[in-house]
Amino acid sequence: MSWRWHMAVLFAFAFTAPAAEISFRNDVLPILSKAGCNLGSCHGAANGKNGFNLSLREENPAADHLALTTDISGRRVNRAAPDQSLLLLKATALVPHEGQERFKIDSREYRVLRDWIAGGLKDDTGKATKLTRLAVTPNEKILVGKGEAVRLKVEATFANGDRRDVSDLVVYEPVTTLVNVSADGVARANGDGETVVLVRFIDRQTPVRLAFIPDRARVWSQREKPLNYIDRHVFDKLQRLRLQPAVKCSDEAFIRRVSLDLLGIVPMPEEARAFAADTAPDKRSKLVERLLVRPEFADYWALKWADLFKVERRALDERGLKFFHGWLRESVAQNLPLNEFARELLASRGSTYTNAPSNFYRAHRTPVLRAEAAAQVFLGLRLQCAQCHNHPYDRWSQDDYHNWAAVFAQVDYKIIENKRTDKNDQQEFVGEQIVLINNKGEHLNPRIRSAATPRLLGVAEEKIGLTGDSLRAAADWVADPANPLFARAQVNRIWFHLMGRGLVDPVDDLRPTNPPSHPELLDELAADLVKSRFDLRHLIRRITASHTYQSGAESSLASASDAVHYAYCLPRSLAAEQLLDSLSRVIGAPIEMSELPLGQRVVKLAGPVSDRKKDDAEKFLTVFGKPPRLMNSECERLSDPTLGQSFQMMSGPVVASMIMQSDNRLGRLLAANKSNAEIVEELSWAALGHAPTAAGRAGFARHLAAAKDRRAALEDILWALVNAKEFVLRN
Amino acid sequence: MKSGFLNQALARRHAIKVGGLGLLGLTLPKILAAEAAKPAKTARIKSVVFLFQWGGPSHIDMFDMKPDAPSTHRGPHKPIASNADGIQVSEHLPRVAKVMNKVTLIRSVHHTMKNHNSAGYYALTGHAPPSDDQRLRDGLELFPAYGSMVDRLVPSRNGTPTSVAYPHVVRDGSVTPGQHASFLGKAHDPLLVTQDPNVPGFALPELSLPAGISYERMTARRELQKLVDAQSRLMSTSPLARGIDDYYEKAVAMLQNEKWRNAFDIAKEPEKAREAYGRTTYGQSCLLARRLVEAGTKFVTVYFSDTIGGQRTESGGWDTHGFNNTRMFPIVEQYHLPITNQTLPVFLNDLESRGLLDTTLVVWMGEFGRTPKINSNISRDHWPQCYTVMLAGGGVKNGYVHGASDSRGEYPADKPVRPDDIAATVYHLLGIPPHSEVRDVNNRPLSVTSGKVIEEILA
Repeated sequence: MSWRWHMAVLFAFAFTAPAAEISFRNDVLPILSKAGCNLGSCHGAANGKNGFNLSLREENPAADHLALTTDISGRRVNRAAPDQSLLLLKATALVPHEGQERFKIDSREYRVLRDWIAGGLKDDTGKATKLTRLAVTPNEKILVGKGEAVRLKVEATFANGDRRDVSDLVVYEPVTTLVNVSADGVARANGDGETVVLVRFIDRQTPVRLAFIPDRARVWSQREKPLNYIDRHVFDKLQRLRLQPAVKCSDEAFIRRVSLDLLGIVPMPEEARAFAADTAPDKRSKLVERLLVRPEFADYWALKWADLFKVERRALDERGLKFFHGWLRESVAQNLPLNEFARELLASRGSTYTNAPSNFYRAHRTPVLRAEAAAQVFLGLRLQCAQCHNHPYDRWSQDDYHNWAAVFAQVDYKIIENKRTDKNDQQEFVGEQIVLINNKGEHLNPRIRSAATPRLLGVAEEKIGLTGDSLRAAADWVADPANPLFARAQVNRIWFHLMGRGLVDPVDDLRPTNPPSHPELLDELAADLVKSRFDLRHLIRRITASHTYQSGAESSLASASDAVHYAYCLPRSLAAEQLLDSLSRVIGAPIEMSELPLGQRVVKLAGPVSDRKKDDAEKFLTVFGKPPRLMNSECERLSDPTLGQSFQMMSGPVVASMIMQSDNRLGRLLAANKSNAEIVEELSWAALGHAPTAAGRAGFARHLAAAKDRRAALEDILWALVNAKEFVLRN
Repeated sequence: MKSGFLNQALARRHAIKVGGLGLLGLTLPKILAAEAAKPAKTARIKSVVFLFQWGGPSHIDMFDMKPDAPSTHRGPHKPIASNADGIQVSEHLPRVAKVMNKVTLIRSVHHTMKNHNSAGYYALTGHAPPSDDQRLRDGLELFPAYGSMVDRLVPSRNGTPTSVAYPHVVRDGSVTPGQHASFLGKAHDPLLVTQDPNVPGFALPELSLPAGISYERMTARRELQKLVDAQSRLMSTSPLARGIDDYYEKAVAMLQNEKWRNAFDIAKEPEKAREAYGRTTYGQSCLLARRLVEAGTKFVTVYFSDTIGGQRTESGGWDTHGFNNTRMFPIVEQYHLPITNQTLPVFLNDLESRGLLDTTLVVWMGEFGRTPKINSNISRDHWPQCYTVMLAGGGVKNGYVHGASDSRGEYPADKPVRPDDIAATVYHLLGIPPHSEVRDVNNRPLSVTSGKVIEEILA
């Protein structure tokens, strides 16, 4: 303790000379932050804790000063007897404190707070010199070997030119539990992997990316050649992490993978066989070209958009739902450039029955909902936090949020008719609506209690004149190739859909405090997209052509925690629609659903599963995570495995009835007098995209030999094939 | 999509390490890690049975009678004494009167949600909805059902679901939020059974194999599945593949778990007991609740009805406005009160005689009470401003009244209680510190409840 204490005293003297002039903003509040007092779980909660309410993460120093200096009992701070201040008694746990002891009586923290109280509780908000820069060295580091630690050195630069080492004063906030950081900045790993530590001081925060790897040999060989710039970035990092990329996946794995990713369904067994037998050296890229122009491609990628725009019945009605979904599908089919796609949606207006994109505004009824949707889907920003307080992890203030919302305040509706089935449902609309522009539309900023000024995100000086068309201005800004956010957000989403994880994760949460795993790669992909005139297919071609996309599922040295580095392909669950459509194709039995013509794929459903879930197939889709489309985020599609999913596959009616259907693939093979060996071979190609192994053949043969009922025994094998991990996972 | 099974698995392992406090501390600064490491409180009870009285029962006609109120308020029913000192109940609940010595009544519960779905969500989660909306839309930003939160924080470790809910999905125009795991993830959804235990042949669909598939055949299929899985290396390389396989293993185990399957085999119950509980959907649901508690289920939710009802004498909930020229009092006299009078005391006595009541908390509540002032239909409308909630069994006092309403039953006159406080009390008794933290889909830290444990009612 004594060493630390002496250091602390030294720091204190160094920073706050003359000692009497303690800065409320630069000395007192950082202590409360470092002690965790103003976190959302403590006194930073909206209503504080136990009557004491601080602003979240010292975002409002004036309010904090008021909270500290004025309370009903007057006991919180005691100028006459500073040591008797409740603030100090609680923080040192001398009186019972739910948050327990935050610091000791002989600490620097205690002394600074006491001196500030004794010195007259002065507020220097506005007068305190501003923090202009917060630099951490190192800001990125790979640590090799068990128990390795790194000392983070944090330097603060103030407007008056002061530069100080504040390593002892800042808050270290690890984003995951992978790392522990001591109060003075020594970061030590709890395991292997990569993570980010946020370093926060006064009103600034800086991310530090740390990777911890085992002390493995440098085994890099040039076995795997980079196929394009993607691989150069990915391999470069793998090399630094002493990881070898997995070898390329087999042709069988590739056609299954790319069919699932591009078309949303496993290939037909004939396609898989033909591809495996093809000897053309460029057959993989040729396959991608063929798939990109298939109608299933548009079906599947339209589904991804439909999930993000609240394409659901209650707001759009059946006609609007189908119309809007059809437009989304058509814009994928026609390869509408992504920025033009965004522009059409954001600038849309007119009848929701004749101008499909206007359904975007029909589904988002308030300025706040429109602003959040536009930011999340097009710019990869989750602004929600900033509705009620400045965003704790991003640069957006509450004012930024409401000014952005004001951009969308001109949207109004002319409701031609509303034949809602439920009079009590304010959100149900059945009938035509006209989305129109009302120049008088305003949005109230609750912080200043007056109308917010329409303003684009991060465009400080630009004001959209009240007479102008703010939707067009927003649409033009988003679609502008120079927009700093749009291309990055879109490539991150495309990467997410193909690779299973965004370079920034979660996929729609881009912010300085959540840095990408491969920053240069994200930049280059974004530049590539801009250069291609926002061509979705171009980017898919680029990614699927990389070794990184084509890598196998295994890497001898990599552990599970290395998946984020793309050392190997990380298997993931099939989406609900991929699974059901693939089951139907493999088993050779149609999906029975009242909303779908028999034999149609569920990926073509325009809307989400209806509220009442009448059909077994609808229940199946829900259990496997088809979202109700009430959010603007991929995270609404829950992909975690559940017990209910296993029961669906084991005892659920959908799979059972498909397998038992007499004229399914198995029935047709039996009717064609195929032998058991031939049938098993064909079923394996259909389900897994390859022939059974020798051990598999032998096991199936044993099962068939012991069976009394041949068809039943073959049904068991078919069931086992579609319940195999190789089938239910995309890998 | 969520961050992936791998991260989830890591998070789960971590959660166990910090003592079952869930995500608490997972992404907080080290400062809070010390708090996270505090051991979970010891659970006072093993199970909760949540008897949800959908539609809103009338407090002033059941457990908070006001015989001295003006005729504009007091109903036609007379109060009768119960076996608990000073507690009166409706004359239509004579058998319930004989178990009042086993319950705590909270007569000062209040909130401001006047619509069924918003108030229902509040009751089912302990969290006030963002708005008082008649068609409050379900979504991942809303809080999970009690049972899901329990599964997230103190899951059952006996291989059976932590939480079972039946025999309906509650709705009023649209599905009432608060019946599933929401942002906690589908893995924490309650096992929902939408079959009527009063119908012959009642069985849990999940435990019923398709026609022609015997348990032996399912076992053989599982072996073949393992054979195919052995053809690839996914099981050794992918934590996700292993996670999925664990669920198959669990499902097979559940299919073969005698105790658990027996619990759902309500036909095994002696005829006398089935009659005693009442041959109604609700009666048999309460009987099933006792069987589930015996089998170790931690959180059982019984929904009184699927609809708010109130206009019929053979089905539906407690929403007796007197609409469509119906009248409240004849309806509750013929349907809701007799069912309650029959089932509730038998249920509490049965739990007690089996030694289960001490470790089981029974919660009886609706989403609100009903207007103390009788309306123009000689019926009552919605009244969240003050109503009564009944708790019985493990951890709470016997024959006790907490809080009070004013002379007309309109507003709390003493010790007002919010649904949040009931949530805090239930969680506390289950060993969950009420301010434990969970994370929503945006990874925002949220408190399990913002309520305060009602210390005075704890036994």
